[in-house]
Amino acid sequence: MSKVKKKHPLVDAKRPNLVEDIFPYSLPPLIRLEGPVTEIIDGKPVEFDFGAVKDRPIYITDTTFRDGQQARPPYTLEQMVKIYDLLAKLSGPNGVIRQTEFFLYTKNDRDTLDRCRELGHTYPECTGWIRAVKGDFRLVKEAGLKETGMLTSCSDYHIFQKLKFRSRKECLESYCEVVDAAFEAGVRPRCHLEDVTRADIEGFVLPFVERLMEMSEQVPEELTAKIRLCDTMGFGVSYPGAELPRSIAKLIYKLNRECGVPSDRLEWHGHNDFHKVHTNAGTAWLYGCDFINTTLFGFGERTGNPPLEGAIFEYIALKGDLCGINTLAITELAEYMRSIGLPIPDNYPFAGRAFNTTRAGIHAGGLRQDEQIYNIFDTTALLGRPPRVAITDKSGADGVAHWLNEFFGLKGDDRINKIRVHKLARWVIDQYDVEGRLTAISDQELEAKAKELYPDYWEKYKG
Amino acid sequence: MATVEERVKAITAKVLKLNVDEIKLEDNFTADLGAESVQSIELVAMFEEEFGIEMDEDAALSVEVVGDAVKFITDVCKEQGVDVEE
Repeated sequence: MSKVKKKHPLVDAKRPNLVEDIFPYSLPPLIRLEGPVTEIIDGKPVEFDFGAVKDRPIYITDTTFRDGQQARPPYTLEQMVKIYDLLAKLSGPNGVIRQTEFFLYTKNDRDTLDRCRELGHTYPECTGWIRAVKGDFRLVKEAGLKETGMLTSCSDYHIFQKLKFRSRKECLESYCEVVDAAFEAGVRPRCHLEDVTRADIEGFVLPFVERLMEMSEQVPEELTAKIRLCDTMGFGVSYPGAELPRSIAKLIYKLNRECGVPSDRLEWHGHNDFHKVHTNAGTAWLYGCDFINTTLFGFGERTGNPPLEGAIFEYIALKGDLCGINTLAITELAEYMRSIGLPIPDNYPFAGRAFNTTRAGIHAGGLRQDEQIYNIFDTTALLGRPPRVAITDKSGADGVAHWLNEFFGLKGDDRINKIRVHKLARWVIDQYDVEGRLTAISDQELEAKAKELYPDYWEKYKG
Repeated sequence: MATVEERVKAITAKVLKLNVDEIKLEDNFTADLGAESVQSIELVAMFEEEFGIEMDEDAALSVEVVGDAVKFITDVCKEQGVDVEE
Protein backbone atom coordinates (compact mmCIF):
# COMPACT_ATOMS: atom_id res chain seq x y z
CA MET A 1 0.00 0.00 0.00
CA SER A 2 1.39 3.42 -0.95
CA LYS A 3 2.25 5.94 1.74
CA VAL A 4 -0.55 8.39 2.57
CA LYS A 5 0.53 11.87 1.42
CA LYS A 6 -2.44 13.95 2.50
CA LYS A 7 -5.46 13.41 4.78
CA HIS A 8 -8.93 14.13 3.45
CA PRO A 9 -11.43 14.37 6.33
CA LEU A 10 -15.13 13.97 5.50
CA VAL A 11 -16.91 17.29 5.14
CA ASP A 12 -20.28 16.33 6.56
CA ALA A 13 -23.35 18.07 5.18
CA LYS A 14 -27.09 18.00 5.77
CA ARG A 15 -27.80 19.64 2.44
CA PRO A 16 -26.45 18.52 -0.92
CA ASN A 17 -23.71 20.37 -2.74
CA LEU A 18 -24.89 20.12 -6.33
CA VAL A 19 -21.84 21.98 -7.65
CA GLU A 20 -24.15 24.34 -9.48
CA ASP A 21 -21.40 26.81 -10.33
CA ILE A 22 -20.12 24.17 -12.77
CA PHE A 23 -23.41 22.35 -13.45
CA PRO A 24 -25.97 25.17 -13.78
CA TYR A 25 -28.42 22.87 -15.64
CA SER A 26 -29.78 25.84 -17.62
CA LEU A 27 -26.49 25.60 -19.58
CA PRO A 28 -24.25 22.68 -20.47
CA PRO A 29 -21.70 21.92 -17.73
CA LEU A 30 -19.14 24.71 -17.69
CA ILE A 31 -15.47 24.05 -18.40
CA ARG A 32 -13.51 26.16 -15.95
CA LEU A 33 -9.81 26.16 -16.63
CA GLU A 34 -6.99 26.82 -14.23
CA GLY A 35 -3.76 28.08 -15.72
CA PRO A 36 -1.14 28.43 -16.77
CA VAL A 37 -0.36 25.13 -18.49
CA THR A 38 3.27 24.36 -19.25
CA GLU A 39 4.44 22.38 -22.23
CA ILE A 40 8.09 21.51 -22.93
CA ILE A 41 8.91 22.55 -26.48
CA ASP A 42 12.40 22.18 -27.91
CA GLY A 43 13.60 21.47 -24.39
CA LYS A 44 12.22 24.70 -22.90
CA PRO A 45 9.08 25.28 -20.79
CA VAL A 46 6.40 27.24 -22.64
CA GLU A 47 3.30 28.58 -20.89
CA PHE A 48 -0.23 28.59 -22.30
CA ASP A 49 -3.03 30.51 -20.63
CA PHE A 50 -6.06 28.27 -21.21
CA GLY A 51 -8.27 30.47 -19.02
CA ALA A 52 -7.91 33.28 -21.56
CA VAL A 53 -10.19 31.36 -23.94
CA LYS A 54 -13.18 32.73 -22.01
CA ASP A 55 -12.43 36.20 -23.32
CA ARG A 56 -10.66 35.37 -26.57
CA PRO A 57 -12.72 35.87 -29.76
CA ILE A 58 -12.94 32.20 -30.71
CA TYR A 59 -15.30 30.97 -33.43
CA ILE A 60 -16.66 27.93 -35.21
CA THR A 61 -16.47 27.56 -38.98
CA ASP A 62 -18.44 25.11 -41.06
CA THR A 63 -17.62 22.85 -43.98
CA THR A 64 -20.87 20.90 -44.25
CA PHE A 65 -21.18 21.89 -47.90
CA ARG A 66 -17.57 20.99 -48.77
CA ASP A 67 -16.04 18.22 -46.62
CA GLY A 68 -19.49 17.16 -45.49
CA GLN A 69 -20.72 16.84 -49.04
CA GLN A 70 -17.64 14.92 -50.18
CA ALA A 71 -18.91 12.05 -48.03
CA ARG A 72 -22.40 11.74 -49.52
CA PRO A 73 -24.45 12.23 -52.66
CA PRO A 74 -24.77 15.94 -53.50
CA TYR A 75 -27.35 18.06 -51.70
CA THR A 76 -29.92 19.76 -53.88
CA LEU A 77 -29.86 23.52 -54.12
CA GLU A 78 -32.98 23.80 -52.00
CA GLN A 79 -31.55 21.53 -49.32
CA MET A 80 -28.37 23.60 -49.05
CA VAL A 81 -30.30 26.85 -48.80
CA LYS A 82 -32.45 25.39 -46.02
CA ILE A 83 -29.38 24.11 -44.13
CA TYR A 84 -27.60 27.45 -44.53
CA ASP A 85 -30.67 29.26 -43.21
CA LEU A 86 -30.76 26.99 -40.13
CA LEU A 87 -27.00 27.42 -39.60
CA ALA A 88 -27.57 31.18 -39.46
CA LYS A 89 -30.39 30.66 -36.96
CA LEU A 90 -28.15 28.47 -34.79
CA SER A 91 -25.21 30.86 -35.06
CA GLY A 92 -27.16 33.78 -33.63
CA PRO A 93 -26.50 37.52 -33.97
CA ASN A 94 -22.91 37.31 -32.75
CA GLY A 95 -21.87 35.03 -35.57
CA VAL A 96 -20.45 32.24 -33.45
CA ILE A 97 -20.57 30.11 -36.63
CA ARG A 98 -18.43 32.57 -38.53
CA GLN A 99 -17.98 31.09 -41.97
CA THR A 100 -19.06 28.27 -44.22
CA GLU A 101 -17.37 27.24 -47.46
CA PHE A 102 -18.75 26.37 -50.86
CA PHE A 103 -17.51 24.56 -53.92
CA LEU A 104 -17.54 26.85 -56.96
CA TYR A 105 -16.99 24.45 -59.83
CA THR A 106 -20.46 23.81 -61.21
CA LYS A 107 -23.37 26.08 -62.10
CA ASN A 108 -25.33 24.43 -59.32
CA ASP A 109 -22.52 25.30 -56.85
CA ARG A 110 -22.59 28.94 -57.88
CA ASP A 111 -26.39 29.19 -57.96
CA THR A 112 -26.51 27.73 -54.45
CA LEU A 113 -24.05 30.29 -53.18
CA ASP A 114 -26.13 33.11 -54.72
CA ARG A 115 -29.35 31.80 -53.20
CA CYS A 116 -27.76 31.49 -49.75
CA ARG A 117 -26.43 35.04 -49.91
CA GLU A 118 -29.84 36.30 -51.04
CA LEU A 119 -31.15 35.29 -47.59
CA GLY A 120 -29.23 38.29 -46.28
CA HIS A 121 -27.63 36.67 -43.25
CA THR A 122 -24.44 38.30 -41.96
CA TYR A 123 -23.19 34.97 -40.58
CA PRO A 124 -22.02 32.45 -41.52
CA GLU A 125 -19.99 34.36 -44.10
CA CYS A 126 -19.75 32.48 -47.39
CA THR A 127 -16.26 31.56 -48.55
CA GLY A 128 -14.98 29.42 -51.40
CA TRP A 129 -12.86 26.32 -51.78
CA ILE A 130 -10.62 25.75 -54.79
CA ARG A 131 -7.59 23.79 -55.87
CA ALA A 132 -4.21 25.54 -55.72
CA VAL A 133 -4.58 26.48 -59.36
CA LYS A 134 -4.19 30.07 -60.49
CA GLY A 135 -7.05 29.91 -62.97
CA ASP A 136 -9.50 28.97 -60.22
CA PHE A 137 -9.36 32.51 -58.81
CA ARG A 138 -11.51 33.60 -61.69
CA LEU A 139 -14.30 31.54 -60.15
CA VAL A 140 -13.79 33.16 -56.75
CA LYS A 141 -13.69 36.64 -58.23
CA GLU A 142 -16.77 36.07 -60.37
CA ALA A 143 -18.64 34.80 -57.36
CA GLY A 144 -17.75 37.99 -55.52
CA LEU A 145 -16.20 36.15 -52.56
CA LYS A 146 -13.64 37.84 -50.35
CA GLU A 147 -11.94 34.66 -49.16
CA THR A 148 -11.25 31.20 -50.42
CA GLY A 149 -9.62 28.09 -49.09
CA MET A 150 -6.99 26.51 -51.32
CA LEU A 151 -5.18 23.22 -51.09
CA THR A 152 -1.56 23.55 -50.06
CA SER A 153 -0.78 19.99 -49.06
CA CYS A 154 2.36 19.80 -46.98
CA SER A 155 3.33 16.23 -46.12
CA ASP A 156 5.79 14.45 -48.36
CA TYR A 157 3.06 11.83 -48.90
CA HIS A 158 1.19 14.53 -50.80
CA ILE A 159 4.08 16.59 -52.18
CA PHE A 160 5.88 13.67 -53.76
CA GLN A 161 3.49 10.73 -53.88
CA LYS A 162 0.28 12.50 -54.85
CA LEU A 163 1.20 15.81 -56.48
CA LYS A 164 4.41 14.47 -58.06
CA PHE A 165 6.55 17.53 -57.37
CA ARG A 166 10.22 16.88 -57.96
CA SER A 167 11.29 18.72 -54.84
CA ARG A 168 9.87 20.56 -51.84
CA LYS A 169 11.23 23.81 -53.27
CA GLU A 170 9.31 23.32 -56.49
CA CYS A 171 6.19 22.64 -54.45
CA LEU A 172 6.64 25.68 -52.22
CA GLU A 173 7.23 27.98 -55.19
CA SER A 174 4.15 26.61 -56.91
CA TYR A 175 1.96 27.26 -53.86
CA CYS A 176 3.37 30.76 -53.46
CA GLU A 177 2.58 31.59 -57.08
CA VAL A 178 -1.06 30.72 -56.39
CA VAL A 179 -1.08 32.80 -53.23
CA ASP A 180 0.29 35.69 -55.24
CA ALA A 181 -2.50 35.17 -57.75
CA ALA A 182 -4.99 35.40 -54.92
CA PHE A 183 -3.51 38.68 -53.73
CA GLU A 184 -3.58 40.03 -57.27
CA ALA A 185 -7.22 39.03 -57.59
CA GLY A 186 -8.01 40.80 -54.32
CA VAL A 187 -9.07 37.53 -52.71
CA ARG A 188 -7.87 36.50 -49.26
CA PRO A 189 -6.17 33.08 -49.45
CA ARG A 190 -6.79 30.55 -46.70
CA CYS A 191 -4.00 28.04 -47.12
CA HIS A 192 -5.13 24.54 -46.17
CA LEU A 193 -2.04 22.74 -44.90
CA GLU A 194 -3.29 19.30 -45.86
CA ASP A 195 -1.84 16.35 -43.95
CA VAL A 196 0.06 18.65 -41.59
CA THR A 197 0.07 16.06 -38.78
CA ARG A 198 2.18 13.80 -41.01
CA ALA A 199 4.43 16.50 -42.44
CA ASP A 200 8.04 17.54 -41.90
CA ILE A 201 7.26 20.55 -39.74
CA GLU A 202 10.74 22.09 -39.49
CA GLY A 203 11.73 21.10 -43.02
CA PHE A 204 8.68 22.27 -44.98
CA VAL A 205 5.72 23.57 -42.99
CA LEU A 206 7.46 26.33 -41.04
CA PRO A 207 9.51 27.62 -44.00
CA PHE A 208 6.33 27.72 -46.12
CA VAL A 209 4.34 29.51 -43.44
CA GLU A 210 7.18 31.98 -42.87
CA ARG A 211 7.13 32.73 -46.58
CA LEU A 212 3.37 33.26 -46.44
CA MET A 213 3.80 35.68 -43.57
CA GLU A 214 6.44 37.63 -45.48
CA MET A 215 4.18 37.79 -48.54
CA SER A 216 1.30 38.92 -46.34
CA GLU A 217 3.30 41.90 -45.15
CA GLN A 218 3.01 43.31 -48.67
CA VAL A 219 -0.81 43.31 -48.77
CA PRO A 220 -3.59 45.03 -46.82
CA GLU A 221 -4.70 43.31 -43.60
CA GLU A 222 -7.93 42.02 -45.13
CA LEU A 223 -5.97 40.06 -47.73
CA THR A 224 -3.33 38.54 -45.46
CA ALA A 225 -3.05 34.76 -45.69
CA LYS A 226 -4.92 32.61 -43.21
CA ILE A 227 -3.68 29.15 -42.25
CA ARG A 228 -5.88 26.10 -41.84
CA LEU A 229 -4.15 23.22 -40.07
CA CYS A 230 -5.65 20.16 -41.71
CA ASP A 231 -5.40 16.96 -39.70
CA THR A 232 -6.37 15.10 -42.84
CA MET A 233 -6.02 11.58 -41.45
CA GLY A 234 -6.96 12.27 -37.84
CA PHE A 235 -3.39 11.79 -36.60
CA GLY A 236 -3.44 14.86 -34.32
CA VAL A 237 -2.85 14.24 -30.61
CA SER A 238 -4.00 16.49 -27.79
CA TYR A 239 -1.87 15.03 -24.99
CA PRO A 240 0.76 17.27 -23.42
CA GLY A 241 4.20 15.89 -24.20
CA ALA A 242 3.20 14.44 -27.58
CA GLU A 243 5.83 14.90 -30.27
CA LEU A 244 5.62 16.70 -33.60
CA PRO A 245 4.16 16.35 -36.12
CA ARG A 246 1.19 14.89 -34.20
CA SER A 247 1.18 17.34 -31.28
CA ILE A 248 -1.56 19.94 -31.69
CA ALA A 249 0.02 22.12 -28.99
CA LYS A 250 3.39 22.20 -30.67
CA LEU A 251 1.99 22.73 -34.16
CA ILE A 252 0.04 25.74 -33.04
CA TYR A 253 2.92 27.07 -30.95
CA LYS A 254 5.30 26.89 -33.87
CA LEU A 255 2.95 28.71 -36.23
CA ASN A 256 1.57 31.16 -33.70
CA ARG A 257 4.64 32.15 -31.74
CA GLU A 258 7.60 31.23 -33.96
CA CYS A 259 6.18 32.11 -37.39
CA GLY A 260 3.98 34.89 -36.00
CA VAL A 261 0.65 33.77 -37.48
CA PRO A 262 -1.91 35.62 -35.35
CA SER A 263 -4.56 33.49 -33.65
CA ASP A 264 -7.29 35.12 -35.72
CA ARG A 265 -5.66 33.72 -38.85
CA LEU A 266 -5.31 30.17 -37.53
CA GLU A 267 -7.91 27.46 -37.99
CA TRP A 268 -8.02 23.75 -37.08
CA HIS A 269 -9.66 21.16 -39.35
CA GLY A 270 -9.81 17.62 -37.97
CA HIS A 271 -10.90 14.12 -38.92
CA ASN A 272 -12.19 11.39 -36.67
CA ASP A 273 -10.18 8.36 -37.73
CA PHE A 274 -8.97 7.76 -34.17
CA HIS A 275 -12.04 9.01 -32.25
CA LYS A 276 -10.17 12.17 -31.25
CA VAL A 277 -11.87 14.69 -33.44
CA HIS A 278 -13.92 16.78 -31.00
CA THR A 279 -11.32 16.95 -28.25
CA ASN A 280 -8.62 17.79 -30.79
CA ALA A 281 -10.66 20.73 -32.03
CA GLY A 282 -11.26 22.01 -28.50
CA THR A 283 -7.55 21.61 -27.82
CA ALA A 284 -6.75 23.77 -30.84
CA TRP A 285 -8.92 26.53 -29.38
CA LEU A 286 -7.08 26.36 -26.08
CA TYR A 287 -3.57 26.45 -27.59
CA GLY A 288 -4.25 29.48 -29.76
CA CYS A 289 -6.35 28.73 -32.87
CA ASP A 290 -9.29 31.12 -32.92
CA PHE A 291 -11.23 29.04 -35.45
CA ILE A 292 -12.22 25.40 -35.50
CA ASN A 293 -13.71 23.92 -38.63
CA THR A 294 -16.68 21.57 -38.28
CA THR A 295 -19.53 19.84 -40.07
CA LEU A 296 -23.11 19.25 -39.01
CA PHE A 297 -23.33 16.02 -37.04
CA GLY A 298 -19.67 15.38 -37.85
CA PHE A 299 -20.60 14.10 -41.26
CA GLY A 300 -17.56 14.29 -43.55
CA GLU A 301 -14.90 12.42 -45.47
CA ARG A 302 -14.45 8.87 -44.12
CA THR A 303 -14.97 9.06 -40.36
CA GLY A 304 -15.99 12.68 -40.45
CA ASN A 305 -15.04 16.01 -38.93
CA PRO A 306 -15.54 17.75 -35.59
CA PRO A 307 -19.30 17.83 -35.09
CA LEU A 308 -20.58 21.38 -35.29
CA GLU A 309 -23.19 20.86 -32.58
CA GLY A 310 -20.50 19.44 -30.28
CA ALA A 311 -18.40 22.54 -30.89
CA ILE A 312 -21.44 24.68 -30.07
CA PHE A 313 -21.82 23.10 -26.62
CA GLU A 314 -18.05 23.23 -26.07
CA TYR A 315 -18.16 26.93 -26.92
CA ILE A 316 -20.96 27.61 -24.43
CA ALA A 317 -19.16 25.54 -21.79
CA LEU A 318 -15.93 27.51 -22.25
CA LYS A 319 -17.65 30.91 -22.42
CA GLY A 320 -20.18 30.25 -19.66
CA ASP A 321 -22.89 31.89 -21.73
CA LEU A 322 -25.10 31.15 -24.71
CA CYS A 323 -23.61 34.17 -26.51
CA GLY A 324 -26.74 34.51 -28.64
CA ILE A 325 -26.62 30.92 -29.91
CA ASN A 326 -30.04 29.40 -30.62
CA THR A 327 -29.40 25.81 -29.57
CA LEU A 328 -32.96 24.76 -30.44
CA ALA A 329 -31.91 25.01 -34.09
CA ILE A 330 -29.77 21.89 -33.54
CA THR A 331 -32.95 19.84 -33.16
CA GLU A 332 -34.46 21.51 -36.23
CA LEU A 333 -31.32 20.71 -38.19
CA ALA A 334 -31.33 17.09 -37.00
CA GLU A 335 -34.95 16.64 -38.01
CA TYR A 336 -34.31 18.24 -41.37
CA MET A 337 -31.18 16.21 -42.05
CA ARG A 338 -33.01 13.00 -41.16
CA SER A 339 -35.85 13.99 -43.47
CA ILE A 340 -33.42 14.21 -46.41
CA GLY A 341 -31.77 10.91 -45.67
CA LEU A 342 -28.77 11.69 -43.45
CA PRO A 343 -28.46 8.83 -40.98
CA ILE A 344 -28.03 10.06 -37.40
CA PRO A 345 -27.55 7.14 -34.98
CA ASP A 346 -30.13 7.00 -32.20
CA ASN A 347 -27.47 7.33 -29.50
CA TYR A 348 -25.67 10.23 -31.20
CA PRO A 349 -25.06 13.06 -28.67
CA PHE A 350 -27.44 16.04 -28.69
CA ALA A 351 -29.30 14.97 -31.86
CA GLY A 352 -29.95 11.21 -31.91
CA ARG A 353 -33.52 10.12 -31.25
CA ALA A 354 -32.45 8.46 -27.99
CA PHE A 355 -29.53 10.65 -26.86
CA ASN A 356 -31.26 11.39 -23.55
CA THR A 357 -33.34 8.24 -23.31
CA THR A 358 -32.57 5.87 -20.46
CA ARG A 359 -33.43 2.18 -20.55
CA ALA A 360 -32.44 1.11 -17.05
CA GLY A 361 -35.24 1.08 -14.48
CA ILE A 362 -32.91 2.28 -11.76
CA HIS A 363 -32.00 5.34 -13.86
CA ALA A 364 -35.66 5.92 -14.64
CA GLY A 365 -36.29 5.87 -10.91
CA GLY A 366 -33.71 8.64 -10.53
CA LEU A 367 -35.23 10.61 -13.40
CA ARG A 368 -38.65 10.33 -11.80
CA GLN A 369 -37.36 11.86 -8.58
CA ASP A 370 -35.28 14.62 -10.18
CA GLU A 371 -34.48 14.74 -13.88
CA GLN A 372 -31.13 16.41 -13.18
CA ILE A 373 -29.85 13.12 -11.76
CA TYR A 374 -29.75 11.49 -15.20
CA ASN A 375 -30.04 14.34 -17.70
CA ILE A 376 -26.91 16.15 -18.89
CA PHE A 377 -28.48 19.63 -18.85
CA ASP A 378 -31.91 21.15 -19.42
CA THR A 379 -32.40 19.41 -22.74
CA THR A 380 -36.03 20.53 -22.81
CA ALA A 381 -35.07 24.21 -22.78
CA LEU A 382 -31.90 24.00 -24.89
CA LEU A 383 -32.91 21.36 -27.43
CA GLY A 384 -36.67 20.94 -27.05
CA ARG A 385 -35.96 17.34 -26.00
CA PRO A 386 -37.16 16.28 -22.52
CA PRO A 387 -35.39 13.23 -21.05
CA ARG A 388 -37.17 10.01 -21.87
CA VAL A 389 -37.18 6.36 -20.96
CA ALA A 390 -37.30 3.47 -23.41
CA ILE A 391 -39.45 0.67 -22.12
CA THR A 392 -37.98 -2.82 -21.90
CA ASP A 393 -38.00 -5.60 -19.30
CA LYS A 394 -35.34 -3.57 -17.43
CA SER A 395 -37.45 -0.42 -17.13
CA GLY A 396 -39.41 -1.38 -14.02
CA ALA A 397 -42.43 0.50 -12.73
CA ASP A 398 -40.27 3.64 -12.40
CA GLY A 399 -39.53 3.63 -16.09
CA VAL A 400 -43.14 3.00 -17.03
CA ALA A 401 -44.31 5.78 -14.69
CA HIS A 402 -41.80 8.20 -16.19
CA TRP A 403 -42.88 7.32 -19.72
CA LEU A 404 -46.57 7.69 -18.88
CA ASN A 405 -46.12 11.05 -17.15
CA GLU A 406 -44.03 12.39 -20.03
CA PHE A 407 -46.60 11.11 -22.50
CA PHE A 408 -49.51 12.82 -20.75
CA GLY A 409 -47.34 15.87 -19.98
CA LEU A 410 -47.98 15.64 -16.22
CA LYS A 411 -45.84 17.58 -13.78
CA GLY A 412 -45.57 17.98 -9.99
CA ASP A 413 -48.53 16.72 -7.99
CA ASP A 414 -50.41 15.86 -11.16
CA ARG A 415 -47.96 13.09 -11.94
CA ILE A 416 -49.29 9.54 -11.83
CA ASN A 417 -47.51 7.60 -9.11
CA LYS A 418 -45.89 4.21 -9.48
CA ILE A 419 -48.80 2.36 -7.89
CA ARG A 420 -51.26 3.69 -10.46
CA VAL A 421 -49.15 2.38 -13.35
CA HIS A 422 -49.18 -1.23 -12.20
CA LYS A 423 -51.43 -2.43 -15.01
CA LEU A 424 -49.19 -0.98 -17.72
CA ALA A 425 -46.08 -2.20 -15.88
CA ARG A 426 -47.59 -5.71 -15.73
CA TRP A 427 -48.38 -5.63 -19.45
CA VAL A 428 -44.76 -4.64 -20.16
CA ILE A 429 -43.33 -7.44 -18.00
CA ASP A 430 -45.66 -10.00 -19.57
CA GLN A 431 -44.47 -8.97 -23.02
CA TYR A 432 -41.08 -10.40 -22.06
CA ASP A 433 -41.87 -13.09 -19.47
CA VAL A 434 -44.97 -14.52 -21.14
CA GLU A 435 -44.70 -13.50 -24.80
CA GLY A 436 -40.93 -14.01 -25.03
CA ARG A 437 -40.32 -10.62 -26.59
CA LEU A 438 -36.70 -9.51 -27.20
CA THR A 439 -37.11 -5.95 -28.52
CA ALA A 440 -37.89 -2.60 -26.86
CA ILE A 441 -41.54 -1.57 -26.81
CA SER A 442 -42.28 1.24 -29.21
CA ASP A 443 -43.98 4.48 -28.24
CA GLN A 444 -46.84 3.59 -30.57
CA GLU A 445 -47.52 0.34 -28.72
CA LEU A 446 -47.36 2.06 -25.36
CA GLU A 447 -49.66 4.82 -26.53
CA ALA A 448 -52.25 2.29 -27.61
CA LYS A 449 -52.00 0.53 -24.25
CA ALA A 450 -52.15 3.83 -22.33
CA LYS A 451 -55.36 4.69 -24.15
CA GLU A 452 -56.87 1.33 -23.17
CA LEU A 453 -55.72 1.31 -19.53
CA TYR A 454 -56.01 5.00 -18.64
CA PRO A 455 -59.10 6.24 -20.53
CA ASP A 456 -59.70 9.10 -18.08
CA TYR A 457 -56.23 10.51 -18.56
CA TRP A 458 -56.46 9.96 -22.30
CA GLU A 459 -59.70 11.86 -22.45
CA LYS A 460 -58.31 14.73 -20.39
CA TYR A 461 -54.85 15.11 -21.93
CA LYS A 462 -55.03 13.52 -25.36
CA GLY A 463 -58.69 13.64 -26.26
CA MET B 1 -66.30 -10.09 7.88
CA ALA B 2 -62.73 -11.27 7.33
CA THR B 3 -59.97 -9.67 9.38
CA VAL B 4 -57.29 -7.36 7.92
CA GLU B 5 -54.79 -10.19 8.27
CA GLU B 6 -56.97 -12.64 6.35
CA ARG B 7 -57.66 -10.11 3.60
CA VAL B 8 -53.96 -9.16 3.30
CA LYS B 9 -52.98 -12.81 3.05
CA ALA B 10 -55.69 -13.48 0.46
CA ILE B 11 -54.52 -10.60 -1.76
CA THR B 12 -50.90 -11.63 -1.33
CA ALA B 13 -51.73 -15.21 -2.32
CA LYS B 14 -53.62 -14.03 -5.38
CA VAL B 15 -50.95 -11.60 -6.63
CA LEU B 16 -48.00 -13.87 -5.92
CA LYS B 17 -49.86 -17.00 -7.00
CA LEU B 18 -49.38 -18.81 -3.69
CA ASN B 19 -51.51 -20.97 -1.42
CA VAL B 20 -52.88 -18.69 1.32
CA ASP B 21 -51.96 -21.26 3.98
CA GLU B 22 -48.28 -20.88 3.04
CA ILE B 23 -48.20 -17.19 4.02
CA LYS B 24 -47.07 -16.31 7.55
CA LEU B 25 -47.06 -12.95 9.29
CA GLU B 26 -43.28 -12.98 9.62
CA ASP B 27 -42.72 -13.61 5.90
CA ASN B 28 -40.77 -11.06 3.91
CA PHE B 29 -42.62 -10.29 0.66
CA THR B 30 -39.45 -10.38 -1.42
CA ALA B 31 -37.09 -12.80 0.30
CA ASP B 32 -39.64 -15.37 1.50
CA LEU B 33 -42.57 -15.01 -0.87
CA GLY B 34 -40.60 -14.13 -4.02
CA ALA B 35 -42.32 -10.85 -4.86
CA GLU B 36 -40.68 -9.16 -7.85
CA SER B 37 -40.53 -5.40 -8.37
CA VAL B 38 -43.74 -5.09 -10.36
CA GLN B 39 -45.55 -7.49 -8.01
CA SER B 40 -44.75 -5.19 -5.08
CA ILE B 41 -46.50 -2.38 -6.94
CA GLU B 42 -49.40 -4.69 -7.77
CA LEU B 43 -49.70 -5.70 -4.11
CA VAL B 44 -49.99 -2.08 -2.97
CA ALA B 45 -52.51 -1.33 -5.72
CA MET B 46 -54.60 -4.39 -4.78
CA PHE B 47 -54.51 -3.53 -1.08
CA GLU B 48 -55.78 -0.04 -1.92
CA GLU B 49 -58.58 -1.50 -4.01
CA GLU B 50 -59.49 -4.16 -1.43
CA PHE B 51 -59.69 -1.72 1.49
CA GLY B 52 -60.84 1.37 -0.39
CA ILE B 53 -57.89 3.44 0.86
CA GLU B 54 -55.06 5.50 -0.60
CA MET B 55 -51.57 4.85 0.68
CA ASP B 56 -48.47 6.97 0.46
CA GLU B 57 -46.39 5.40 -2.29
CA ASP B 58 -42.99 5.52 -0.64
CA ALA B 59 -44.26 4.50 2.80
CA ALA B 60 -46.29 1.61 1.42
CA LEU B 61 -43.45 0.30 -0.74
CA SER B 62 -41.06 0.41 2.21
CA VAL B 63 -43.11 -2.20 4.11
CA GLU B 64 -41.28 -5.51 3.73
CA VAL B 65 -43.03 -8.02 6.01
CA VAL B 66 -46.61 -9.35 5.88
CA GLY B 67 -47.28 -8.56 9.57
CA ASP B 68 -46.05 -4.98 9.07
CA ALA B 69 -48.35 -4.64 6.09
CA VAL B 70 -51.32 -5.73 8.24
CA LYS B 71 -50.46 -3.08 10.83
CA PHE B 72 -49.75 -0.39 8.21
CA ILE B 73 -53.04 -0.98 6.41
CA THR B 74 -54.97 -1.08 9.69
CA ASP B 75 -53.49 2.31 10.64
CA VAL B 76 -54.26 3.83 7.23
CA CYS B 77 -57.85 2.52 7.42
CA LYS B 78 -58.29 4.19 10.79
CA GLU B 79 -56.82 7.46 9.53
CA GLN B 80 -59.11 7.44 6.51
CA GLY B 81 -62.23 6.37 8.45
CA VAL B 82 -62.57 2.92 6.92
CA ASP B 83 -64.08 0.26 9.20
CA VAL B 84 -62.15 -2.98 9.32
CA GLU B 85 -62.14 -6.15 11.42
CA GLU B 86 -58.85 -6.36 13.33
